[in-house]
Amino acid sequence: MTLSRKTLALAGAAVLVVGAAGIAYAQSAGAVSAALSSGEVGEQADGYLGFRSTPSGELRDEVDAINIKRRDVYTKLATQRGVTVRDVAVTVGCETLQKRVAIGRSYLLTDGEWRTKGEDPIVLPAYCGQ
Amino acid sequence: MKKASLLLALAASALLAGCVQIQAPDKPIEINLNVNIKQEVVLTLKKDAEDLVNNNPELFPQ
Repeated sequence: MTLSRKTLALAGAAVLVVGAAGIAYAQSAGAVSAALSSGEVGEQADGYLGFRSTPSGELRDEVDAINIKRRDVYTKLATQRGVTVRDVAVTVGCETLQKRVAIGRSYLLTDGEWRTKGEDPIVLPAYCGQ
Repeated sequence: MKKASLLLALAASALLAGCVQIQAPDKPIEINLNVNIKQEVVLTLKKDAEDLVNNNPELFPQ
């Protein structure tokens, strides 16, 4: 049983297209991802991204843009559920702090102090529940 | 035999009932309403927040 050349060519083309899309996506999110990796930018308990150190203008713009989009999405959900935008935002904060901060990355709790994630799970604010 | 186990169950339940103790707390009970309400809201929104994050990966770069 052998695959025809046509099938192989098609499969190859598909791999190329998917790969190219992946690279394009990685580039657009590149600056913020790099800043997250270096710990310059991190998740905050308030549900938004923040700066641990003073960012370049370009990085600030990209992070601000993400935060504005986040607030839009939070606002939609808050309206649907009849709660405040802040309620949604802090709940997302609980979620991101719990699941989306990798070891070595920065995060900000309600005490206003930036920390670096270690091996242990982040001690979440009490209102996050267990 | 059946009667014996019934008696045993009755005895056990009587014992358990005897164990229920209500003790007055030494300290006054403090209820922080703000925190409680917030926690409840967070709890009800938890699943929504999870979906929100998963459905908007571009807003939550890794």
